[in-house]
Amino acid sequence: MTAPSTRPAWRRLGFAPLLGLAAFALVFACHVSVGARTIPLPVVAEALLSYDASVFEHVVIVDLRLPRALLAAMVGAALAVSGALMQGVTRNPLADPGILGLLIGASFAVVLVVGVFDLAAPALIPPVAALGAVIAAMAVWGIAVAAPGGAMPLNLVLSGAAVTAFLAALVIIANLLDEQSFEQLRVWMTGSLAGAQGGVMLWALPWLCSGFIVALAIARQVTALAMGEETATGLGLNVGRVKALALFAVVALTAAAVAMAGPMGFVGLVVPHVVRLFAGQDYRRIVPWSALAGAGYLLVVDVAARMVLAPVEISTGLVTALLGAPIFVWLVRARL
Amino acid sequence: MSAGLLIRLDGPVTYALPVRALGLLAALLSLICALVVASLMAGSYPLGAADVAATLAGRAPSDLAQTVVWQFRFPRALAALAAGALLALSGATLQNVTRNPLADPSLVGVSQGAGLAVVAAVVAWPELPQAMRPLLAFGGALAVAALIQGIAMRRSGGATMRFILTGIGVAAFVSALTSAFLTYGQIDLAISALGWLAGSVHAAGWGEVAVLGGALLCLAPALAVASRPMAAMRMGPEMAVGLGLRVGRTRMALITLSVALAAAAVAMVGPIGFVGLVAPHLAHRLARCGVGLHLALSAAAGALLVGAADLAGRLAFAPVQIPAGLVTALIGVPLFVWLLLRTQARASL
Amino acid sequence: MTGYNNSDAPEESAASRLRVAGVAVGYGDAPVVRDVSLDVPDGALTVLVGPNGSGKSTLMKAMARVLPVSAGEIRLDGRLLRSTPTREVARQLALLPQGPIAPEGLRVRELVAQGRYPHQSLLRQWSREDAEAVDAAMRAADVIQFADRPVSDLSGGQRQRCWIAMVLAQETGILLLDEPTTFLDLKVQVDLMRLLRRIAKEDGRSLVVVLHELNVAAAFADHLVMMKEGCILAEGHVERVFTAANLREVFGLEANVLRDPASGRPVCVPVVTPNADVMSRIAAQ
Repeated sequence: MTAPSTRPAWRRLGFAPLLGLAAFALVFACHVSVGARTIPLPVVAEALLSYDASVFEHVVIVDLRLPRALLAAMVGAALAVSGALMQGVTRNPLADPGILGLLIGASFAVVLVVGVFDLAAPALIPPVAALGAVIAAMAVWGIAVAAPGGAMPLNLVLSGAAVTAFLAALVIIANLLDEQSFEQLRVWMTGSLAGAQGGVMLWALPWLCSGFIVALAIARQVTALAMGEETATGLGLNVGRVKALALFAVVALTAAAVAMAGPMGFVGLVVPHVVRLFAGQDYRRIVPWSALAGAGYLLVVDVAARMVLAPVEISTGLVTALLGAPIFVWLVRARL
Repeated sequence: MSAGLLIRLDGPVTYALPVRALGLLAALLSLICALVVASLMAGSYPLGAADVAATLAGRAPSDLAQTVVWQFRFPRALAALAAGALLALSGATLQNVTRNPLADPSLVGVSQGAGLAVVAAVVAWPELPQAMRPLLAFGGALAVAALIQGIAMRRSGGATMRFILTGIGVAAFVSALTSAFLTYGQIDLAISALGWLAGSVHAAGWGEVAVLGGALLCLAPALAVASRPMAAMRMGPEMAVGLGLRVGRTRMALITLSVALAAAAVAMVGPIGFVGLVAPHLAHRLARCGVGLHLALSAAAGALLVGAADLAGRLAFAPVQIPAGLVTALIGVPLFVWLLLRTQARASL
Repeated sequence: MTGYNNSDAPEESAASRLRVAGVAVGYGDAPVVRDVSLDVPDGALTVLVGPNGSGKSTLMKAMARVLPVSAGEIRLDGRLLRSTPTREVARQLALLPQGPIAPEGLRVRELVAQGRYPHQSLLRQWSREDAEAVDAAMRAADVIQFADRPVSDLSGGQRQRCWIAMVLAQETGILLLDEPTTFLDLKVQVDLMRLLRRIAKEDGRSLVVVLHELNVAAAFADHLVMMKEGCILAEGHVERVFTAANLREVFGLEANVLRDPASGRPVCVPVVTPNADVMSRIAAQ
């Protein structure tokens, strides 16, 4: 870290954030414009700035595409930040909400409540997802810590694989016992942005915001924690409190993402690694950049998911797996 | 030394087999018979033991009993047993060659590879004959195993943990690809393929039994021959060379054998996870013996596991059928976690 | 052969079944062993010493055909090692690699029995000869009292004796042991070396052992080989080779070589007083 500069804070940031935001805006606009019928960018701008309900394109943009783009951005940002925090706190380059069981925990809880207990109130879904995620996370962590060698990356991944397999089996059983819900949830379970319901999005928003705020608040401490717990304690850090806050942020963000779009794996794994290549190891920069990059990444992935096999739409969650799993494999090869 | 051994020390054929292990094998085999009888008796059309015996002997009390036993329950039970044995043998072989107690064909993407090959073929060419499935599954499994081995191998020998983690990543990729095929395909094909993918025995008929039985018969002799090299492989590659084993060739052969065993099972009944992991460990804990007998015990344990899982899946939430693969996951995961907590050999990996 | 030769030392017999000639061994392009020639004397205890990275383990692995040689040849009983079927080699030559790990739960008897592998076949899995060889090996290595206990229950020294019993059960004329005493207490090291010396003398087997402890090597070796940077710098009877000059050249060690009055064997004592340059610099401050 360089010595504090004498320039005002906003100047110190340099041009990078502006470039980033500009790139994001462009990706966002492309996402809105591309679809079954490509709507030219000027029309998109018109729809956003001077909305006219009688123009068909404007309606399509505002009622269909805009919500989906917003959803993609929010989910991508949430998962990326969640992954970044997990990698920092567990000091495990392979950590990600999917691998450590949070996604399946959240999905399982939602499937249980919606499918089995038939409580589909939008207000309920985010807290239920959060509960599922936190329980799964604690199970995975607990098993890894109890294994010989402690919470090494290897044990965490194996423990995550075990919990994931178990809960996944339960989810399929629950679906089999109730065929109707199966149809409703089948696409959601693979991670999809298609069924964006306004109700759930609104109720997930507080979780999303609180998760982001906490993540930004503890970013500095997470950087210290990444040096090792004993070193961090020596520096005066309250390690237990940071971990608890990090868990809250991760669970809140993951729950919000799952509530809105179902489990979408590998986003939290891939994006922070790319961000670290440019932003370094300081989590005060990694967290906001992960949010931006995650949002952009999922927007791009969503466009691909919609366009590659047009008119058939592949679930976005599948595409993130198709992209993310090879990167996971590459990470294993490079880092272990 | 001779205490507790069935032993013959002189002559052209010699052996020393622990009596306890042999007794256990006999016990497992009789448990398997009991399980088969229970499978034939229980269900939505319950049959008494006497009726079952009569039906098996060819003197069925009614046409319905004849159909239920000979068309549905009997082939299904046998298929479950054969698949379980194949998967257990695959797991035992894989654990031996990787010297890793946590190895399992489904954990390293082999099952998923077989699954992907079959699903892709079924969705893309629905007219594909049933007989092609084993070949496709074998090809898919072998391709994935080769891919994982290629990625995880390094100059320094290829750490087995890297092998497993790479397998998890490749499995996730392959699963996503499979799901993509399912989404793209027609809905009825998708649902039936999904059921198959969960690892189910319920659609098994005599055709499947024939293939599974055939695979067991063909591969069992290979395993018998392989049991001696497997014993030497346990000592580590350098020691194995010192004992006169051709390690490189043996390793390739064993991996291929393990993949073939798993692929045969997956091709017929879909991927059933954790059997290959858990059955060999159960066999270890039940009786101590050499590699050859351990393979036989693992096969018996695996057969029991899948047979029981299939029966439980059939009865637990009747009339809804829970695929055997889900039940084995529910049983297998806690056992896997227990192994993860207990296995001290992590440092050697 | 360089080094100071003590001409009072006894001469050695020339018989040698395992001959290494002009051998180079390396991983990839970098040769770890360069141009090594060594005739392993029969019926004697040969010890390989050298600093880390000198190629001792690599040479041993090449002699055991675990690693291929990139130049030169190794001959066993006159035949090229690489063209002899590996099973036949296993009946003449046994290897105990560094840090062996036994499968979980294995009993001592089962571990030792594994050494019979080259003498068994698919139909002859366990014979009278096997049983007798295993018992004899366990008795020779003094582990017969642990026969039915798990290997993991034993102490480091006892476990190492079990591994030695295993290679003994293989009933070979030549034994190669790669650092069998590393990480063990000195007393345990000495006990193991006594066992190995007894094996060499009483059974007339040829042993090659890689050791780290110089004085242990000097106390037990018949034939001492010093390696440095992939080459043999000194080789021969312990009396001739274990000299201050060689220790300096091979290890960079300043030491006095004394004689143990009880055994007559050489012993090295590192020089601990700082040299004159350092003393004068300290005094000048």
